[in-house]
Amino acid sequence: MMRAPCSDWVSAIDEGSAPGRSDWPERLNAMRVELHPAFVIHQRPYRETSLVVEVFSSRQGRVGVVAKGAQRPRSPWRGVLQPFRSLLLAWSGRGELGTLTHAEPAGFTLPLSGGRILSGFYVNELLTRLLMRSDPHPRLYEAYAEVLTALAGRSGGEPVLRVFEKRLLAEIGYGLVLDRDNDGGAAIEDGRDYYYQIDKGPWRVAPADVVTVKISGGALIALAREALTGREHLRETKALMRFVLGAYLGGRPLASRELFRGASGVVSP
Amino acid sequence: MSAISSGRIGQARRYSPLIDDLIGALRCLPGVGPKSAQRMAFHLLERDREGGERLARALSAAVAGVRHCERCRNFSDAPICRICSNPRRDAALLCVVETPADIESIEQGAAYQGCYFVLMGRLSPLDGIGPAAIGLDRLEGLMTEGRIKEVILATGTTVEGEATAHYVGEMARRHGVRPTRIAHGVPLGGDLEYVDAGTLSHAIACRRDL
Repeated sequence: MMRAPCSDWVSAIDEGSAPGRSDWPERLNAMRVELHPAFVIHQRPYRETSLVVEVFSSRQGRVGVVAKGAQRPRSPWRGVLQPFRSLLLAWSGRGELGTLTHAEPAGFTLPLSGGRILSGFYVNELLTRLLMRSDPHPRLYEAYAEVLTALAGRSGGEPVLRVFEKRLLAEIGYGLVLDRDNDGGAAIEDGRDYYYQIDKGPWRVAPADVVTVKISGGALIALAREALTGREHLRETKALMRFVLGAYLGGRPLASRELFRGASGVVSP
Repeated sequence: MSAISSGRIGQARRYSPLIDDLIGALRCLPGVGPKSAQRMAFHLLERDREGGERLARALSAAVAGVRHCERCRNFSDAPICRICSNPRRDAALLCVVETPADIESIEQGAAYQGCYFVLMGRLSPLDGIGPAAIGLDRLEGLMTEGRIKEVILATGTTVEGEATAHYVGEMARRHGVRPTRIAHGVPLGGDLEYVDAGTLSHAIACRRDL
C-alpha cells in the first residue's frame, strides 16, 4: 500500500540530536503533530487516570494517543474527548501510541441524539475495523464529517450511511463497481437485475458456484450517484453493503449492529 | 499495546516469598504501584499486625459474602439489598445508574425515595459491551412486573451514557413505563462564564418555565 509522504505538519523534534532510527518510516520517529482537525472515535480507560483515545485525524488517519490524566475529576479534557465532536488535537511521541498534548473543541458541533448515536457507533466501528493505523485518508475524513453532520440533522438516516460505506470502501482500496457489468463491460441498465460478486462487480448472468447478491440496476445507479431515495433501493443497497462489508470484516460481526436489534424505532444499518 | 495490557512487567523477587506475595497481592488495588505496595506491606508487618489481621478477615468475608442484589444489581450482603427491601421506598420510581458509587452520590445529595437499578457499566459496542452485559434483560423483567411507573435515566452524559439512556428509554416505552432523563445544565453556585459550551447549549435548549 502506498503511504503518503510525511509533510510539513509533522516536524521531527530536534532533528539533529534525536534522529530516530533511519530504517523506520519517518512517522514512527519522535514527532510533534500540531493542532489540527480530528475526531475521537473511541476512548477507553488506561491506568488510573488516563485514557487511550482512538483518533480519526484529518491528516494522519486512524491514530491512537494517550490522554494523560484525562480521567481526573478536574481534567480540562473530561468533557472534550467525546466521540462525534469536531475537535482540534495535537500530540507528540514516537511509536504506536503518541501522547496527547492539546485538545479543544473546534467550534460548535450538533450532538447526535437518541438512535442516531447507535448509527454513529456503527460508523466508528467500521473505521476501527477497516482502517489501518496511521494511514492518512483526507477524503474519507471529509466523508466522515459529512455523515456525522447528516446524522445530527434531520436528513440523516440510511441513505447517508450507504453513501459513507461506499466512500469508505473506495478509500481503502475495495471500491465497488457500480457503472459497468462484469460480463462484457456494458453500462449498468436501469430495470435489469444483476448479481454482485465480491471484488469483481455485477454480473448480468449469475456465475455458477460463486456467492453473489442480487441487486437491481436502478439501485446500483442510485448508489453510484449517491442519490438513494426509494425504499426498495435502500433495501437492496443495504443487502449489498452487508454482503460486501461482511467479506472484508471477516467472521466477527459488528457489535454495534447487535444494538439495533433491541432498539425500536431505529433501523439497523 | 502489549506493554499496556500486561500491567506487571518483570517483578523480581527481592524479599522472602511471603513478603513478595503480600506486595504482589496489594498491587491489585487501584492506584497501588510496586512502591506503595511495599510501603503498605511493611507498615502492616512493622506497625499494625492487628490491623492486617482485621483487613484479611474483612476482605475474605466480603469477597465470600457480598453479592449483587437480585432486583437492582447493587452490591448487597443479602439476596435483596436494603434499599429494595425497604417498604418505605417508592417502588414505582426506578433510577437507572451506571455504578454503585452513583447510588451513594444520589443517596447523599438528593432527597430521592425511589428504588435503583445498577447497570455496572454502559453500552459500548466498540468495547463489546452489549445489553446483556449490563443486565438489561433483568431490567426488562422488572418492567414487565408492572409495578414501575417511571424510570429515571441517570446514566452519564457521555456518548455511551446517552446511548444507554436512549436504549433503556425505548425499552421503557415498549412496556408502558414513563422514561425521564436527569437534567443537564449549569452547576449550582456557578457562573455562566466558566461553563463549557456544550453544557450551556444544553441548559438553554432544556430551559424551563419559571
